[in-house]
Amino acid sequence: MARDNIFVGLEIGTTKVCVVVAEARHDNTLKILGVGNAPSRGIRKGEIVDFETAKRCVHDAIADAEERSDVEISEVYLGISGGHIRSFNNRGIVLLEEGREEIDEQDLEDVRTNAREVSLPMEDCVLHTIIQHYFVDGQGGVLNPLGLFGKKLEADFHIVYGIRTRIQNAIRCVKELELETADVVINSFGTAQAVLDKNYKQLGALVIDIGGGTTDFVVYVEGAVKQSGVIAIGGDHITNDLSIGLKIPSARAEKLKIEEGDVTLGNAFPGETIVLRDETGFAGREIERETLNQIIHCRVREIFEIVQRQVDADQNLNYLGAGVFVTGGSSQLRGIEHLAGEVFGLPSRVTAPLPLAGVTSAFENPQFSTAIGLVRYAHLVHLDRPMARGILSRTMKRLSGIFRT
Amino acid sequence: MVQLNRQYGRQETASEPRKIRVIGVGGAGSNILDRAMLDGIDHVELTTVNTDVQSLTGSVANQKIQLGRNLTRGLGSGGDPELGLAAAEESSEEIQSAVAGCDIVFICAGLGGGTGSGAAPFIAKLAREVGALVLVLVAMPFTFEGRRRCAQAAASLQLIRENSDAVICFENDRMAELTLPRMGIHEAFAAADVTISQSIRAISNLLRQPGLIRLGFDDICSVLRDSDARALFGFGEADGENRAHDALVKSLRNPLMHRGEMLANATNVIVQIRGGANVTLGEVGIVMEELNRHVSDRTQLMMGIAIDAGMGSRLSVSIISSLGDSSDRPHKAEAYPALQEPERTEIEVTRERVSDPALPTHVPEPAITLRLEDERPIDGVKLDAEPVEAIETRAPRKENGKEAASADKAAPKPAPKKIEAKQEVLQFDAVSRGRFEKSEPTIIDGQDLDVPTFLRRRVKVG
Repeated sequence: MARDNIFVGLEIGTTKVCVVVAEARHDNTLKILGVGNAPSRGIRKGEIVDFETAKRCVHDAIADAEERSDVEISEVYLGISGGHIRSFNNRGIVLLEEGREEIDEQDLEDVRTNAREVSLPMEDCVLHTIIQHYFVDGQGGVLNPLGLFGKKLEADFHIVYGIRTRIQNAIRCVKELELETADVVINSFGTAQAVLDKNYKQLGALVIDIGGGTTDFVVYVEGAVKQSGVIAIGGDHITNDLSIGLKIPSARAEKLKIEEGDVTLGNAFPGETIVLRDETGFAGREIERETLNQIIHCRVREIFEIVQRQVDADQNLNYLGAGVFVTGGSSQLRGIEHLAGEVFGLPSRVTAPLPLAGVTSAFENPQFSTAIGLVRYAHLVHLDRPMARGILSRTMKRLSGIFRT
Repeated sequence: MVQLNRQYGRQETASEPRKIRVIGVGGAGSNILDRAMLDGIDHVELTTVNTDVQSLTGSVANQKIQLGRNLTRGLGSGGDPELGLAAAEESSEEIQSAVAGCDIVFICAGLGGGTGSGAAPFIAKLAREVGALVLVLVAMPFTFEGRRRCAQAAASLQLIRENSDAVICFENDRMAELTLPRMGIHEAFAAADVTISQSIRAISNLLRQPGLIRLGFDDICSVLRDSDARALFGFGEADGENRAHDALVKSLRNPLMHRGEMLANATNVIVQIRGGANVTLGEVGIVMEELNRHVSDRTQLMMGIAIDAGMGSRLSVSIISSLGDSSDRPHKAEAYPALQEPERTEIEVTRERVSDPALPTHVPEPAITLRLEDERPIDGVKLDAEPVEAIETRAPRKENGKEAASADKAAPKPAPKKIEAKQEVLQFDAVSRGRFEKSEPTIIDGQDLDVPTFLRRRVKVG
């Protein structure tokens, strides 16, 4: 590693591979040095389906980022997504042995281990164990129990797990490019770090990242991660719907979606049409604008409705004081914030990453939310545990407190 | 065969006219009635029903019923639907006698207040009990009238839907699009009333003057009954060189049509083209062709053409349809005999009624013969089963034309129908996943989300 204060976020997305290189400055702020990206192939619904092709894409993106930032990348924070990722909340309990009343670090470790002791399917492994709340002798609202007196320590955790082999695929892809994976982070946590500040997390917020192949969401309530999920539907599905509905090739459908797509119904004049031109500029078929919008509307509404149902099932909808934040490549569809507002009945907005110093063009685009979030995450981890330890031993420990920031 | 048809044409005029009653409930209802009266509506009996005596005396209807004589003592219901309902229950005998013997009852009401919201569902229920086809035309309140009124209106609408054959719902908010914001409030409300009275007139005209290519009671039944009872209506009239196109465009622009987009979800659509003696086949073609673009392949278009000398050089297009529950409708269509069950009983009743008058073998009017030739090619497309049956069934069955035909359709047709449906289902599965064909399916709540949402939800697009 060239410098200790360099963080690199790598998101292997369905549409593009994105690398963000950032530098931690002395005043504990981040500066973006460069952003590299490459269109991805061999990836479906956020997971690698063609290893060699995907590897080449990751290589291109890394090379691009190295060139732009003038940094030799050796270690990355890898974003993970895919429909196999699941999560749940669980409570861990630790009773202090006789004669000892002060809670120490070992107890925190034990309570975390205790919470993770649930039976998961054989092929699954835990990705994150994120602290939500501590309770000391049944008393809630404890932010940091370290050093407090008590007999019983309880803690609620949000546990994220996924299928081990699929996660390993992504890690291997990075490894074969002679890069280290500093940590594996699910995309939605990364995204949340990019678009939510402390205040929003405290107020309660739902972040929906509609990417190319997946929709990742995370719910923050009172500063803690309450819920997270991945739905393997994204912009690709919209394109596919258009391709089927309008009977046009995928590439054409993608272009049409980006150039003309709108999720608002009734916005087009009756009979208003869009003329499809081929590469040479010849006018080909005509497509009714309302038809186009309707197909997009149906799909996007459904995505929101699925998220809404899942969030509502845990009764978290009422705690989202800051509302809904929509981001990711597909959030660039016109009118999407209104549709989100309609489905969730909450203030909704499309957000790009919160500003950082450095290459500013990266922040104007919600496409880069996740990758920027990954470096923010990395930075937070770094601030939390300044003394670097071995990569593997850190994996489970250092998450405490991060998501409370 | 031509002769049979001619007979049937004669029969139409000879048969007992359908008894139509229009009931205006509450203040808004009586306003609509007054408007209909002003615009001229023939062969229809009008009844105003209200709790408020003052408003009742101002009405021009020929029959008036005061609701809740003891309960409200001639005052209004004060925006309380429960009071409105109680008042209607008190006067239920009077209402029953008013709807007795009617074939079709239109009920007009403005929802959101007391009398309209409370009494209209009850009256619809009574009318349905006497066996009439009940069409309810309601005006929903403006959103700015407040949440409570909107909620009352929505609750009442639900009740009306349960108790009637079809609801045509006029949302005042959308009606406002008809007028400019700076237009006088009086004009704005008048515009809404005009649209409602237009639709009453169009339906009653359609029933009274069946026309060259006949559309009638049975067609309206089949379109409006047995649906989730949300009706679509459009009416347009135009004159001049391009009148066919203009009339259709106007009819689609009707606020109830949602710019024609709702039409895509309808399974049955009635179109009636009405004009003077100079309607050409070309014009009919234009209307039908353009309309076809707005409906799905599955939609059954029922076309009627009426020649009305009174229209002069104008041409009008009326479109009536209803939104079925999209999930079970296509299913019903394939299970044809099952679909017929509820309708058949109703058809039997009407057939009995019509076959009562003796079967006169009148000499057909010579003037019609020429036009009948026009009719054939179109008719052939529309209902190919008809000519065949005309030969094999006896004249009395034929006389009410399509209702006999549609009932009989169940018998000769089930086999090809079924095959058609099966093919469709197969095709549905094959094309649906597109580029995700080979990837792991995303299944949430039992639905394969890789299949386009609009296909799964059967939203008709394009």
